[in-house]
Amino acid sequence: MTRITRLLVTFILASFSIANAQASDKPVLTIYTYDAFAAEWGPAPKLKEAFEKTCACTVDFITADSSIGALRKVQLEGASTKADIVLGLDTNIAEAARATGLFIPHGADQAKLDVPMSWNDDTFLPFDYSYFAFVYNSEKLKTPPTSFAELANLPKDFKIVVQDPRSSTPGLGLVLWVRDAYGDKAADMWKKIAPKILTVTKGWSDAYGLFLKGEADMVLSYTTSPAYHLIAENDNKYKAAPFSEGHYLQVEVAGIVKSTKQPALAKKFMQFMLSDEFQDIIPTTNWTYPATKTATGLPDGFKGLHVPAKTLLIDGKTVEENRKGWIDEWLMAIGR
Amino acid sequence: MSSFSPLRRFGISFWPGLAVGAALLCLAGTIFAQIVILPQTTTVSAALDAQIWSILRFTLFQAALSTLLSIGLGTALAWSLFHQRRFPGRGALISLLSSTLVLPTLVAVLGLVTVFGRNGWLNDLAEALSGHSFGAFLYGLTGILVAHVYFNASFAVRGLLHRLEAIPAEKFKLARSLGLTPWQRFKLVEWPALKGTLPSMASTIFLLCFTSFAIVLTLGGSPKYNTLEVAIYEAVKFDFDLLRALKLALAQLAVCAFLVVVASGLRASSSAIAQARTPSIWGEPFGARCAQLGITGFCAIAFLAPLAAVLIDGLQADFTKLFAEATFRRALFTSLVLASASSVFTIAIALALGFARRNFSVPGRIPASWWTPVVSRVLAFSGTLYLAIPSLVLGLGFFLIARQFAGPLNFWAVIALLCANVLMALPFSLAILVPAMEKTALRFDKLCFSMGIRGIARWRLAEWPFLRADLGYVAALAFCFSLGDLGVIALFGNQDFATLPWLLYQKMGSYRTHDAAGIALILLALTITVFALVPRVFAGGRDAET
Repeated sequence: MTRITRLLVTFILASFSIANAQASDKPVLTIYTYDAFAAEWGPAPKLKEAFEKTCACTVDFITADSSIGALRKVQLEGASTKADIVLGLDTNIAEAARATGLFIPHGADQAKLDVPMSWNDDTFLPFDYSYFAFVYNSEKLKTPPTSFAELANLPKDFKIVVQDPRSSTPGLGLVLWVRDAYGDKAADMWKKIAPKILTVTKGWSDAYGLFLKGEADMVLSYTTSPAYHLIAENDNKYKAAPFSEGHYLQVEVAGIVKSTKQPALAKKFMQFMLSDEFQDIIPTTNWTYPATKTATGLPDGFKGLHVPAKTLLIDGKTVEENRKGWIDEWLMAIGR
Repeated sequence: MSSFSPLRRFGISFWPGLAVGAALLCLAGTIFAQIVILPQTTTVSAALDAQIWSILRFTLFQAALSTLLSIGLGTALAWSLFHQRRFPGRGALISLLSSTLVLPTLVAVLGLVTVFGRNGWLNDLAEALSGHSFGAFLYGLTGILVAHVYFNASFAVRGLLHRLEAIPAEKFKLARSLGLTPWQRFKLVEWPALKGTLPSMASTIFLLCFTSFAIVLTLGGSPKYNTLEVAIYEAVKFDFDLLRALKLALAQLAVCAFLVVVASGLRASSSAIAQARTPSIWGEPFGARCAQLGITGFCAIAFLAPLAAVLIDGLQADFTKLFAEATFRRALFTSLVLASASSVFTIAIALALGFARRNFSVPGRIPASWWTPVVSRVLAFSGTLYLAIPSLVLGLGFFLIARQFAGPLNFWAVIALLCANVLMALPFSLAILVPAMEKTALRFDKLCFSMGIRGIARWRLAEWPFLRADLGYVAALAFCFSLGDLGVIALFGNQDFATLPWLLYQKMGSYRTHDAAGIALILLALTITVFALVPRVFAGGRDAET
C-alpha cells in the first residue's frame, strides 16, 4: 500500500516537474506580488521587459490573490518557496513581515527616495505611494459623502465594497484610517458603516471589478485611481471622494526573501526599482505616485487629482502591536 | 485456540481489512494529535473565543435553516412527482436530480450566479417585465441557503420518492374510497411513510451543510457569513495564524463528533422496497393537480436553469486559448490523475473493509466472542471518518505535518488531497458495497466452502459477476467526488499544483468569467461522461443487477 502511494506520488510530482521544466538556462528571478500588479494592464509586463534587457535573466511574476496573500504564500511554502522578492506590502504590514525573519537587507541606496514620510529601512524599499480614498461614479452619485460621519448616516441602500484587512493592504489601510481618525470610537463608527458594506473582498481587484460592474456606489481604492479612467479611458466620471477627516497614506514596498538563490540578482532588481525607467512606468500602470522624482515627472492626468490636505499615518510598530486587536474589533463591529 | 480457528480460515479476507481500518484510525489519530496536542502556547484571548462562538452560532444556524428548507422543498417535490407520473421527461428529471451528489459544487455555484446574480437571468427577466430587479440577493446568507437547498433538496427527493412508492397501493385505494382530500391523504397515508426516513436524512443534510466550505467561500461574501471551515481556511491563508486555525478546528471537531454520535442513533427504519406501480386510474383533484404541476415546473426550471447557464456560458469560452494555457493543462492532468487514483484507492479500501466486515455480519463465519464487537466497531467506524474529520481540518493536519518534516509541500499536498478524497467517497461506497457483499456471502458461502473455492477463483466466480455493477458505480462516484472537490486544495493549491476546481475558483475570483465558464463546462462534461460511462464499462454491457 505505502509503496503504491509512494510510486504514485512520485509519478505525479515527476509529471509536474516535466511540465515545469524550462528550456533556457538563464537565471530566473521570481517575484511574488498581488494580482493587479501582475495583470496584463499592470506594471509587471513592462517592468519585466525593461529589467530583462539589463540582467540576462528571466523575471517571473507570480500572483497571489492579494497583497498580504503574497506574504502568506511565502510563509506557507516555508523554506521551499520559489520567491526571491515579495513586492506589494506596505508600511502597515511591513513590521509583521519583518517579524517573520524571512527577509534580508536590500542593499539599495535610498537617497533618491521621495515619499511623504522619512524613510530609512534596510529591509523594505518603497516603490510607489498613494492615499486611500473611496472612488465613485459622478454620473450616478451626485453628492458623495465628504466624511466617514456622513457616510455612516447615509440610507441603508447606499452600498460600498471594501477589502478584507486580513488579506489586503487597502482593507487594512481602511481599518487604520478609521482608527487614526476616530481613535477609541472607531468601533462605533464601524457599526454605523457596516450596513452599507455590500461585500468584503479578498483583494483590491475583486472589489474594483465589482464596483465597475455597477454592483456598488463606492469602492475603497486610491485618490490616484481616477487617473486611470482619465488617461487610459479618457473618461472623467470616476472621482475620489475627499474626506474631511483626512486620508491615510500608503507606501508600497518590496523586500528580498532570505532563501533566495539569486541574492545578487534580487539586489540588482531592488536598485532598479528606484531607477527613472521603473518609476516612470508606475504612474500609468499601477496608477499611484512614483517613489522618486524622475526627469520626466508626473503625467498630466495626475495634476488635477485631489491631494489630501491632511495625511493620516500610524507608525508601523504601533500598527503591528495593535493590528490583531483592531482587526478583531472590526470583525466584531461588522457582525462577526 | 479453537475459537481462533475461524480466524485462520477467514484470515485472507480479514487481516487486510483490519489493517486498512487500523491505518485509517491511525491517520485520524495523527491528525487529531496534530491539532490537539501540538499547540503548547494556549493564550486564550477573549475576543477570539467570542468570535469562535459567533462563527459556531452562524454555522449551526445556516445548517439548520438549510436542512429545514431542503427537506421542505424535497418533500413537496417528491409528493408532486409521485402523483404526477405521466409527463414528458419525468424519468430524466429524477435521474438528473439524484446526480447532484456528484455535481462539482463550484460548477453549480457558477450556474446559480448566472441565473440569480445581480446581473443574472432572473433579474434581467424581472426588469424587462416589471422594471424591478431583485438586486444582489445572492450575497451572504441568502446565497448560502439557495446553494445548499439546490444541492440537498434534490438529494432528498430520490429517497423520499422511494418511500412514497413503497406505500401499498391498497392504502391509496382506501383513501380514495373514504374520500380523503389530498391534505388528509398526505397526513394519514403519506406522512407516516416519510416520517421514518426524515431524521437520518435530516442529520446527513445537516452535517453536509455544517461542514460546507466551497459554497460559503464563494457565496458568503464577507466574514460576517463564515462557517467554521471557511474560518479555518482564512486563519491559515489570510492571517497565517495557526493557533487560531487550531482552535477553530478543535471547535469543528468537537461539534462534528457530537453530531456524528447523535446521527448514528437516528437509523432509518426498515428499508423500503419500491413497488411496480401502474399509473393511478383516478385523476387528482384539480387544485392538487395544479399545485403538483406548479411545484414540479418551478423546481425543474430552478434546477435546470443553472445547468443550462453553465452550458450556454461555457460554449462561448475560448477553448483554444484555455488549452494553450500551461496552468490549465497541468490542472486538467492533475485532476484526472488524482480522481483516477482516488477511485482506485476507494475501491481497494472499500473492498478490504467490506470483506472483513462480512466475516462478522454473515452467519456461519466468525462466531461472536469478546473481541468481535470491538473489531467490527473499528471496521465500521473507520469507513465513516470523513464525517467526523471534515476536509479542511484534515488539510490543516497535513499542513502541520508537512511543516515538521522536510520535503516539498506539494508532496504532502498530493497525500492530503488523496486522503481527503478517498475518505469523502468511503461512506457512500460502503453503503453501496457492504450490503451487496453480504448478499453474495449469504448466497455462495456454503457452496464455496464445500467445494473449496477460495481466493482468486472465488472472486472470479462468486463475487465479481455480482459486484461489478456496484463497483462501477462506486468507481464513478469516487472519481467524480475527487474531480469536483474544492476543499483541501484551497489550502495547498499554487501555481505548480492546481486542480480544475481550484483553477476555476481562481478564475472566478479574478473575474476571468469566460475562462471560468469554460472550465466549469469541462468539469460538468467530464462528470456526466464518467458517471454515465464507467458503471456501464464495469457492468460489461449487461444491465446492472442491483
